[in-house]
Amino acid sequence: MEASQSGEGCYVALTLAHLDIPSLMDRVRSPEAGAIVIFAGTTRNSFASLPVSHLSYTSYPPLALRSMLAICEEVRNRHALKGVAMAHRLGDVPIGEESIVIAVSAAHRGAAWRAGEEALEAAKARVEVWKREEFEGEEVEGVWRANRDGGPGGRGRGQGRVGTQRQRQRFERW
Amino acid sequence: MASKPPKGHFHVLYFAAAGSYTSKQVEALPAPLPLSKLFATLEGRYDGITAGVLENSLVTINLAYVDLPGTSEGGEDVMIEEGDEVAIIPPVSSG
Repeated sequence: MEASQSGEGCYVALTLAHLDIPSLMDRVRSPEAGAIVIFAGTTRNSFASLPVSHLSYTSYPPLALRSMLAICEEVRNRHALKGVAMAHRLGDVPIGEESIVIAVSAAHRGAAWRAGEEALEAAKARVEVWKREEFEGEEVEGVWRANRDGGPGGRGRGQGRVGTQRQRQRFERW
Repeated sequence: MASKPPKGHFHVLYFAAAGSYTSKQVEALPAPLPLSKLFATLEGRYDGITAGVLENSLVTINLAYVDLPGTSEGGEDVMIEEGDEVAIIPPVSSG
């Protein structure tokens, strides 16, 4: 399974396969660029003190691709980027492998560094992908993680619905 | 993601914690249904889902986020129509 969308200077993808960093880098390569910044998010083997045995990701693909493309277009415009590419892996991801890769190119490195970080933070706040962590040992049940408070998702923690919608509207204006 | 719902129905997609709670990824419910009745309808089928999942989730209809009527930011009620795709979106954990 692989799904992608493109816009001017933007490419986003969801895939069950390994993320291919060189090909994503080639998507943003430009003779007008003096810098390409790559961010690779990898799966960590623990949460708090609990050992994580493996992680799996699910998504709402049409909505996730739409959000990813919107984020790429926002950072591209804000930082006058030559290109932005973002790919998220889905399904089981073994510990230590890439789950998300972002590549940005710009005329100068400062804009590329900043844009890469902004694209990642926006993706973690908004893209409709969910991570489930399974722990070693049978006594601890797996949990759906939530980025916004570092705790489990959908268990009554964090902000309520209204606060969340306000937050989302802020992000959409941002 | 899902095939078309049966005539006179809309689909609800359950992601992440919502899917764990309902043990389903998708189901068809009778249409039309006012958005303001959605959570009560789901609570009637899945006891405790409002406090356990829905209060921390967002809702989309046909890939667009909607504000639930009755909250301080809620707008006009809208009708969920036959063939619509509604989704329960728990807090995301991408990256």
